[in-house]
Amino acid sequence: MTELKEIQRLEGHTDRVWSLDWNPATGHAGIPLVFASCSGDKTVRIWEQNLSTRLWACKAVLEETHTRTVRSCAWSPSGKLLATASFDATTAIWENIGGDFECVSTLEGHENEVKSVCWNASGTLLATCSRDKSVWIWEVLPGNEFECVSVLQGHAQDVKMVKWHPTEDILFSCSYDNTVKVWADEGDSDDWQCVQSLGEPNNGHTSTVWAISFNAGGDKMVTCSDDLTLKVWETENKGMQSGGGFAPWRHLCTLTGYHDRTIFSVHWSREGIFASGAADNSIRLFVDDNESQVDGPLYKLLLKKEKAHDMDINSVQWSPGEKPILASASDDGTIKVWELIP
Amino acid sequence: MDDLFDSSLNLEDTHYKEGYDEGYSYGLDTGKEEARQVGLKVGFEVGEELGFYRGCVDIWTSAIWFDPTCFSPRAKTVIGQMEELIQKYPLMDPENVQVQEIMDNLRLKFKMVCSSLHVKLEYNGYPKSSTEANGIQF
Repeated sequence: MTELKEIQRLEGHTDRVWSLDWNPATGHAGIPLVFASCSGDKTVRIWEQNLSTRLWACKAVLEETHTRTVRSCAWSPSGKLLATASFDATTAIWENIGGDFECVSTLEGHENEVKSVCWNASGTLLATCSRDKSVWIWEVLPGNEFECVSVLQGHAQDVKMVKWHPTEDILFSCSYDNTVKVWADEGDSDDWQCVQSLGEPNNGHTSTVWAISFNAGGDKMVTCSDDLTLKVWETENKGMQSGGGFAPWRHLCTLTGYHDRTIFSVHWSREGIFASGAADNSIRLFVDDNESQVDGPLYKLLLKKEKAHDMDINSVQWSPGEKPILASASDDGTIKVWELIP
Repeated sequence: MDDLFDSSLNLEDTHYKEGYDEGYSYGLDTGKEEARQVGLKVGFEVGEELGFYRGCVDIWTSAIWFDPTCFSPRAKTVIGQMEELIQKYPLMDPENVQVQEIMDNLRLKFKMVCSSLHVKLEYNGYPKSSTEANGIQF
């Protein structure tokens, strides 16, 4: 019987924990696993695993930079930089300098609350989104300089999350306007355009879309929503085909009836398991359904963890490394680290 | 022979017509005056905002003229785009359908240049969205 076992409950934040992100450069070659968490208490905490006890401890607190809630955090692919998005309308870039985290750059441009931040696969571009309904793309320049490449306007409401495709420079954003929009650089001179909008007419969500995650191959995407469903989308194997242009995404299936409150977070592991975290305080895990009939469900529930937290679960994230560990962040102010025992 | 009571029977109709004419001409006058005021206000606001961007672009352009390397190539491109938009703005044709689109585009380019130049410039008359809603954020 598969089980999701709680390894540790981490306290430290003094307000709700909004988001967390595992450092992708950790968890292998003897480097201890590290993740960052951010909170309504305006701080970011860095947690590191002790290789002998296997337990996590808070290694650093990044404070006195953001003046309001820190809503989202993201490590660069190299694991050297951490970007944090805040309701104070700024995005900060932190660099680990000999164990100390220093704020090396501040990205200003959004009119109000920044909701999410994400690096592209090569670490050369950064995307941010805001309540001001816009999505900004920034280029990473030498010397910790960041310059705005493009401002994408298309969403009719608050943009909740931005996510780059795992291999291609294609950006995805989801919003309070119930849509997922796909953005690509059409020409050669910063010409980013909306190439697809996935909404209700395309079997899309009927309420706020909160999160997006991709499978390891990058040909499937899962989204979660306030409409209490999870939706899986697919595209041709190569996102941007050479000469063939953009390959559109289409609805594959809808998973309904698993959560009875808003689903805030979804994350697909490299092993093909996707986890969802919701306002019903529970975590669900889903896998490919091998015995699925032609018209039957393509994904099945692997496991449900009721009362995973005392309050809403805002974020669930699988760790890098050989044996993935799941971490969850909640309104109850704690982070929990879980081990999947097959 | 006219009926003795004819005039009194039509009394209601007559007064209705008088009142209507009075109201119509009053509405015409006050409507024109109100429209004049709105026109003055909106015209002033648009002119002021365009003038603000015109001033910024002129200064930036002069700076580039003195030192072509003072801003990044990307910032220079956007400043050039602002110049084009200001020139394109149909000042004498307020009912032109492009008016709003050009203004929105100008505001956007202005934000991009400010971000690129690391300056905190704000046009004071810019309609604020942050004041309208201060509810809980998710």
